[in-house]
Amino acid sequence: MRLFTGQRAWVVQRLSALLLLVLILLAMLALPFASPLDFSAWRALAGGALGGPLIALLFGALCAHAWVGMRDIVLDYLQPRGLRLAVLGLITVVLLGVLARVLLSLAMVALAA
Amino acid sequence: MRLNIYRYDPERGDPPRMQAYDVQPEAGDKKLLDLLMRLRVQDDSLSFRRSCREGVCGSDAMNINGRNGLACLTALDGLKEPIVLRPLPGFPVIRDLVVDMTQFFAHYHSIRPWLINDEPLPERERLQTPTERERLDGLYECILCACCSAFCPSYWWNPDKFIGPSGLLQAYRFIADSRDTASAERLDFLDDVYRLYRCRTIMNCTEVCPKGLSPSHAIERIRLALLQRSS
Repeated sequence: MRLFTGQRAWVVQRLSALLLLVLILLAMLALPFASPLDFSAWRALAGGALGGPLIALLFGALCAHAWVGMRDIVLDYLQPRGLRLAVLGLITVVLLGVLARVLLSLAMVALAA
Repeated sequence: MRLNIYRYDPERGDPPRMQAYDVQPEAGDKKLLDLLMRLRVQDDSLSFRRSCREGVCGSDAMNINGRNGLACLTALDGLKEPIVLRPLPGFPVIRDLVVDMTQFFAHYHSIRPWLINDEPLPERERLQTPTERERLDGLYECILCACCSAFCPSYWWNPDKFIGPSGLLQAYRFIADSRDTASAERLDFLDDVYRLYRCRTIMNCTEVCPKGLSPSHAIERIRLALLQRSS
């Protein structure tokens, strides 16, 4: 599977870093003015037409970036093939789990709105 | 001057050790290699490689006070004492300061370091414009001393799979050559999670190159060439 090897992984890492930078800067600029930041405000943000997709994009970029970074660490430091596959599998499951949980929550908030 | 030198002779079976030496440089001794040659008169069991003694052959690469360099280009003036000499880090030691470069040269061979051009031979030679020739500056000067690869953490971690800064600099030397027609195949070969993309732009290679070259810049150019090709 060449989806996350060589150049593609390198491009994914850089594009996701760029997305993270833009989205985090956006959040840092916008959130201080959205007071009070209580449960209902967060819920409104996550259920909004713009907020929901942006949060999904943020976590998507975060998981993709983390996967390439963690894969690099594993390829450098873990040499036994079995251990390497097990750790890579675990990282993939955890990151997919995080992403699925975020998407599920966003969908539930959007449906409830 | 006081030197502290890594000593290891696998035939004797003793573990590696550091041995202290005191050598007095004489008039005309300007470089570390001069001192090592004088030291060898004292102790002919000390092993190190050297040949041209002027930074062209690259054979006297070693770790000098924690930094890779060529003994023949390292000035004695300004060297902190004791001068600690070790073999190139990450390379298997054959004896004392002599390392096994087999894998290093296998990587070099893997990038096919020769011009590939299947077009009919011209009557005299394959010409280049001055601009095309200038693209090879900073690339063709590599002397394969291995100072860069032996100072690259990514190469220490995956020496069998990562081509290393020296091999990648040489690879780009042929990708950038207007007379070479195999750039696409060369890029295909390099587009691999290990061969090229183990590089993390740590830039130790550029920091220690005794010829003042920048392998990290060449690696960046390869990545950009791959990006341009796929876009």
